[in-house]
Amino acid sequence: MKIPTAMDDSSVSHHNGGQVGSQIGVSVNNKQNDEPSQSVQYSIPGILHFIQHEWARFELERSQWEVDRAEFEARIAFLQGERKGQENLKNDLVRRIKMLEYALKQERAKFHKLKYGVELQQGDVRPPPEEPPAEPEPAERAQWKQGRQLIKQYLQEIGYTDTILDVRSNRVRALLGLNNEEVENPNYRNYDKQQHDRCDYSMNHMVRKYDYGKEPRKSGVSAGGGYNEEGLSVQETAAVFANFEFLTNQEMDMDEIDDLDAKQSHHPPGKQGEEVDHEAEEVLNELNLLTEREADGGGQGDEYPVGSGSSGGSAVAAGAVAGAGEADEEPLALGELAQLTVSNEPEAYDVASANKESFRKTWNAKYTLRSHFDGVRALAFHPTEPALVTASEDHTLKLWNLQRTVPAKKSAGLDVEPLYTFRAHTAPVLCLAMGAPRSEECFSGGLDGTIRVWNLPPPTADPYDPYDPAVQGAVLRDHTDAVWSLSSAHGRLLSASADGTVRLWAPRAARPLLSTLRADESPTAPAPAAADFADAASRAAVVYRDGTLLLYDLETGQPVLRVACDSPAHRVRSHPTLPLLVTAHEDRHIRFWDGVSGRCAHTMVAHLDAVTGLALDPNGLFLLSGSHDCSVRLWNLDTKTCVQEITAHRKKFDESILDVAFHPLRPYIASAGADGLAKVFV
Amino acid sequence: MAVEAVQILRRNRPGSKAKDFCRWPDEPFEEMDSTLAVQQFIQQTIRRDPSNLEAILKMPEAQDEGVWKYEHLQEFCMELNGLAVKLQAECKPETCTQMTATEQWIFLCAAHKTPKECPAIDYTRHTLDGAACLLNSNKYFPSRVSIKESSVAKLGSVCRRVYRIFSHAYFHHRAIFDAFEKETHLCKRFTYFVTKYSIISKDILILPKLDDETPVGESEA
Ligand SMILES: [Zn+2]
Ligand SMILES: [Zn+2]
Repeated sequence: MKIPTAMDDSSVSHHNGGQVGSQIGVSVNNKQNDEPSQSVQYSIPGILHFIQHEWARFELERSQWEVDRAEFEARIAFLQGERKGQENLKNDLVRRIKMLEYALKQERAKFHKLKYGVELQQGDVRPPPEEPPAEPEPAERAQWKQGRQLIKQYLQEIGYTDTILDVRSNRVRALLGLNNEEVENPNYRNYDKQQHDRCDYSMNHMVRKYDYGKEPRKSGVSAGGGYNEEGLSVQETAAVFANFEFLTNQEMDMDEIDDLDAKQSHHPPGKQGEEVDHEAEEVLNELNLLTEREADGGGQGDEYPVGSGSSGGSAVAAGAVAGAGEADEEPLALGELAQLTVSNEPEAYDVASANKESFRKTWNAKYTLRSHFDGVRALAFHPTEPALVTASEDHTLKLWNLQRTVPAKKSAGLDVEPLYTFRAHTAPVLCLAMGAPRSEECFSGGLDGTIRVWNLPPPTADPYDPYDPAVQGAVLRDHTDAVWSLSSAHGRLLSASADGTVRLWAPRAARPLLSTLRADESPTAPAPAAADFADAASRAAVVYRDGTLLLYDLETGQPVLRVACDSPAHRVRSHPTLPLLVTAHEDRHIRFWDGVSGRCAHTMVAHLDAVTGLALDPNGLFLLSGSHDCSVRLWNLDTKTCVQEITAHRKKFDESILDVAFHPLRPYIASAGADGLAKVFV
Repeated sequence: MAVEAVQILRRNRPGSKAKDFCRWPDEPFEEMDSTLAVQQFIQQTIRRDPSNLEAILKMPEAQDEGVWKYEHLQEFCMELNGLAVKLQAECKPETCTQMTATEQWIFLCAAHKTPKECPAIDYTRHTLDGAACLLNSNKYFPSRVSIKESSVAKLGSVCRRVYRIFSHAYFHHRAIFDAFEKETHLCKRFTYFVTKYSIISKDILILPKLDDETPVGESEA
């Protein structure tokens, strides 16, 4: 009896089981407490059946979740792989940017050299004061974390469709250059937009970011094009122009990266999009600024495209690539990029400032020539090579090759060891003159009254080669006292001596002495201190110890101009193209004389002590002066203003700088000092 | 103007006569404030009387001895240029194929990567050029005010080689040696110097004694 009822009940309970699950436990409990006859509704088989059913259901659900989990894992693996690919791509792009920057730098230096005839100082440029911060703000970082969380939710909600994956892989391929058609870009963008729309974004700022990212990109490209046009219009060198095109291409690539970035902004990293925008906006501003300045710059602006183009380009690149990496996990990548921008910007800055105030070079000490045992009285550069000869009170002359250097300790400068030591003078060597180009000769005058002709050893000579007597050439012995000044032009030599005479020589001739110029026959007449050829070597300008300046006609040997001055003079130089004579005086003045009328064109206090050295640059634009006040000064001949002052030598007794020189062709200046050193500046 | 007239400026102005070169009143060593003071002082004393070895080698009080020796060696090498100039005219590689003094030793030239049997004139030039490089080296002698002990030790080898130039001239070019010595008293001064400061051992000093070259009661440190 019991059993059938129970069976009936169980069937009922079976029916109701699913609906009143919670009651089962209760009824089971009741069963333990109450009499079994009362719990007819819940039979054991019924309960077992229910449990089995439930078990199967949970198992099914579990397997479904496991399938889901496997799917997600696969997706993660895919995303990670993709990220790795993008990192490689980014590294490759950074490398390319660096290569481009290097090429541009070289090109810019070459261009600069061609244009101004001097090397561009790339080493000592300072970074501009306003530098975009490379590190993301902490607030930005928090925002980024938040965005990441949201994105996780979206992933769960929408999942990935195959279409998206296809789009993404296409994009990656496009970036890698496998599928490089730009036509595809709009489609992708549209697709992106659709995706954006389809997915119901509560995060408005994300969408906004996307739009921002798009806008500057366009401007960047158009500005890049602008550079290109500018490059074309000014007809820069082909190489520079080639660099340019390359740069624009690069910008296109960057553009694509931006695209990718914007897309990424609705998947994993949230903050990056924003940083791209930030950077891009800055780039945009910078480009606008540059374009404006370019318009103002006029003729001088033709260096802008090079400088600004690269800075703009690299900034775009930096922005884009910085966006591609994850700031949190890749501080290295960001650091590299930050460096990239920093290392480039200053040059653009430098070029810009160079353009603003015409051209102005700053000379820096580079080579120190130490080997003389006593004061260096004179120096002269080789007519073409980066080499020079120094003459010293230690009775020797030394030949230096600036390309054979030994790195000096704890300083940026280089020490040079002499190539050859010329020994023949029996007293301090006081003056020096370099022969004509390709003659490979130089002349020296000494306290011993001799003038010596030297055949310069080749620049490849070793200082410890066997002695070659052929280095010593003719000896001109007509002077009877110290020879203080030598000047060489057109194969002729002009010497000034304490014996009161100035002599004109053809040093290689059998009878070398051509003429003797004497202002005054009386033995008490002041001796000449210095002499220089003037008027294409048809005249000789001579200053005397009493300050008198005389201009001799070398045909007749007669003075054609006489100017009196009350301060003893130390040096005279004639301007390479103008009828202008410059004299250096004991009273700290430099005086400028009209070589035709003899009128004093200008006079200025040039130093704090006697002016001892004078040199004019080969183009006659700058004047270099040295003084016993230990300083070398560079003057703009046009405005007669001091462009640069360099403290170069120490004092020995009351003497300091004894001579200064310009290289006839290369961007070198040099000073010689009583401290036994010579210094070369670049 | 008045100040300038009173103030002595120790300068060689262009156009001045050879006999007036460096002919200015002596400056007391205490008043020399240049980093080249020791060189100035030594040259000033030599100019006054090159034969007065004691005066020349009398070190001022409180002077760093390393610097003192260094500056003297510089001066020796510089003045030896004068002897080298004279030797260039007579000491030919054909006749003096090796650097010798007496026939006892052949000196190898240390200026090369591996010491070489240079002819005497090359040995002379190479030694002086090498000494100029070493003594002006920023590495070993970066300062002229103080010198590292390890660098002072380098002076000895320079002195030994420099002495060979004197000895070659003495034994092979006596006329040149004598003329040069009469003018400069350089070998005497050098012997006095290396003896006084025990820079090279006495048995290396092979030249017969020249007049009053040995410091009185000051040697043998
Ligand atoms: Zn010899
Ligand atoms: Zn040698």
